[in-house]
Amino acid sequence: MSDAIAIGLAGVSKRYANTLAVDDVTLSVAHGEIFGFLGPNGAGKSTIVKMILGLTYPTAGQIEVLGQPAGSLAARAEVGYLPETFRFHDWLTASELLHFHARLARVDANLRADRVRELLELVGLKDRANDRLSTFSKGMMQRAGLAQSLVGAPRLVILDEPTSALDPIGRRDVRDRIRELGEQGVTVFLNSHLLSEVEQVCDRVAIIDHGAIVAEGKLDELLSAQEIEIRAGEGAEAAVREALGESGVRSIDGRLRVRVADDGEIAMLVRRIVEAGVPLYDVRHVGDSLEDLFVRVAERGDV
Amino acid sequence: MSAHLIALFTLREALRRRVVLAAALLTLGYLVLYGVGVWFGYRDLQNTPGGPPGLTEGVVSLMLVGGLWSLNFIASVLAVFLSVGALSGEVDQGTLHAIAARPVRRSEIVLGKFVGFTLMLAVFIGVSASLMILVVAVITGQVVGASWSGPLLMLLAAMLLIGLALAGSSRLSPLPNGVIVFTLYSTALIGGVIEQIGDVLESAVMFNIGVFSSVLIPTRAIWDMASAQLATGGFAGQLSAGPFGASNPPSGWMLLVAALHLAIALGFAVRSFERRDF
Repeated sequence: MSDAIAIGLAGVSKRYANTLAVDDVTLSVAHGEIFGFLGPNGAGKSTIVKMILGLTYPTAGQIEVLGQPAGSLAARAEVGYLPETFRFHDWLTASELLHFHARLARVDANLRADRVRELLELVGLKDRANDRLSTFSKGMMQRAGLAQSLVGAPRLVILDEPTSALDPIGRRDVRDRIRELGEQGVTVFLNSHLLSEVEQVCDRVAIIDHGAIVAEGKLDELLSAQEIEIRAGEGAEAAVREALGESGVRSIDGRLRVRVADDGEIAMLVRRIVEAGVPLYDVRHVGDSLEDLFVRVAERGDV
Repeated sequence: MSAHLIALFTLREALRRRVVLAAALLTLGYLVLYGVGVWFGYRDLQNTPGGPPGLTEGVVSLMLVGGLWSLNFIASVLAVFLSVGALSGEVDQGTLHAIAARPVRRSEIVLGKFVGFTLMLAVFIGVSASLMILVVAVITGQVVGASWSGPLLMLLAAMLLIGLALAGSSRLSPLPNGVIVFTLYSTALIGGVIEQIGDVLESAVMFNIGVFSSVLIPTRAIWDMASAQLATGGFAGQLSAGPFGASNPPSGWMLLVAALHLAIALGFAVRSFERRDF
């Protein structure tokens, strides 16, 4: 993997007893990119995040973070992480939490006090710096967690559902922070189920379902990609698979769902089906927004 | 190295969560009760005429050993309760995720917690044992058991339990881990009783069962060594035999067994915690 890559996963799988939580995932995130990682609950998002951080070990494949093996001290020294549960030791004050993590992240002793003060101000907790986390609301806890993830001046920030407990204003603040990080050249890996958030800040996204990546790409490309539903006679599936290959073709209730890049591809498919002598009854668009894509993936997850 | 940060954090957590305060208050209450007992016991002893020479000294020594035996028990319970959920419990709650994602070795987390709990127990045993020796000295005018080796051995027994509980906590959740550690601890206690009965009945089998239990977990054997150090006076040896100590204290080899035990427990805790998934 090259140096231009902040996070690289190659053929990563994770098996727990009898279940395959992550299935042969290959993924790369470039330096300075704001990367959105989407998927329904239980799809394997958090497992992948924990493998990137070295908290969980893959059963197969390699993971590299900032040019180092995932989980190595060198890699972790430059990574900031906001855990999904944002559960911290609530007997600490906000300031103590940040000081403790600044020391763990090996922030120079001279810089610590200033860094902590700046971050508390940034997330709007300056007035509550000396209050215990046990007195904090969920939203305040999450903001303290966000500050914690930034305290080591990381080159890569991994945020696991950073806005799930925030009100709309809090969400906008977090989005602004993420954009600022992107402007500073920090790579952001954003794990989220909130599509609006991902749509608004991410350069590129991947969608995971049942432990496998089902869609990945630049946001505008993914959004311009379309899915069509084809209702046709016997043999249509074979014709379509012959034209497009195995990926992006599935059969639902006797109808074919096909991902196509553009209108030209639709025309090509129609021609192939007709040329194969298969009766064609109906071709229609089914969704073309990230939200639709996500919902389709999520619905499939429920089956 | 970040192990010292984890150790300090562990200490601070105990202070902040009032674990230390609760233990201090309960121990203080226990010491008051204990003092009242010693006061009445000693008065009765003085009012009893006759008896062989050295009886008073022996009984006072026994009273101290009995008191320290209970302190040793409290220290053991404290050691297990503090450390039984230290790793798995925190992983399950999610509080360890952000810390373990920092450039901190898993071994530093395990050893930092071990050092933190050990320091806490050292303060608890040091302060409460000193106070108890002081209480006995003030009431009876006899200074008995004033040696470092007794409390240090008590600390070693507590460290064995911390090591064991951390080893279990690397994989098991707090409840099953606590059950296992307390079962082992009880095995050692019961093994000690069997060993003593075997000694009296001259039953080699019973004696060996006791010795085996001490090799399995040497907490009780270490206490027997401590009580032998603490008991002074002509009758102390015989009087201490019973629940509070053995008539034949274990040889110095038991220290080696204990050191080995601790090394294996901590080694296992580190290796097992290094390999676990969060």
